[in-house]
Amino acid sequence: MAKRLLALCRQAPYGNALAREGLEAVLAAAAMDQAADLLFLGDGVFQLLDDQRAEAIEQKNLRRNLQALPIFGVETVHICERSLLERGIDAGQLQIPGAGLKLIADTSRFIAGYDSVLSF
Amino acid sequence: MKFSLVIYGAPHASQSAASALRFARALLQQGHEIHRVFFYCDGVHNGSALSAPPQDETDLVAGWQSLQEQHRLDLVVCIAAAQRRGVLSESEALRLEKPAGNLAEGFELSGLGQLADAAARSDRLITFGA
Repeated sequence: MAKRLLALCRQAPYGNALAREGLEAVLAAAAMDQAADLLFLGDGVFQLLDDQRAEAIEQKNLRRNLQALPIFGVETVHICERSLLERGIDAGQLQIPGAGLKLIADTSRFIAGYDSVLSF
Repeated sequence: MKFSLVIYGAPHASQSAASALRFARALLQQGHEIHRVFFYCDGVHNGSALSAPPQDETDLVAGWQSLQEQHRLDLVVCIAAAQRRGVLSESEALRLEKPAGNLAEGFELSGLGQLADAAARSDRLITFGA
């Protein structure tokens, strides 16, 4: 049986290379038919905010990586509900075209359901 | 048990890289198997032959190399992360028209697929963050 793989996205989009390199790793795994589920938590939820203007700080927009997720078979993206609450973000401010968003209340139980976890 | 390690920390920058090396040694001492060590993000600097720490500090690159030699470890440096940070093999340096390669002996450059493969094939995947 294939192992269930989860990727945690914990970094704000432009403060740390791990945000981009984490998504790149997820896309590479998906391209090899090892699609990981994703859970955005902590400052990682900022990656999902609409209307990022990365060019203002001379960065590539992370949006393109996120938009590629459904193309590689990632149809649902999981988000830690408490992380949104703590940061005053409404779920309506978040979106990835082509992917459904699912709020997770009990993140520890959710994570425990996977065989392997990649942490970014 | 079959382990793979993922390392994000640059040597001599955080405890991460040093802990990973000590963990790898402990695993092998206890008879576990290491399927792969994958160096990602700033962790790619662990594969630089040009690091030259003072003599009274642990030389992490040499530590990995000696472990690799003894146990035939698969030390993989992510090629995309390494190109961004200036860790190149001789052939990559030539291809990218850079003045020199600096990938340390015992390490190899490969793609992110090796990380997905490590996750799929190992009983445990241990991440050493930045």
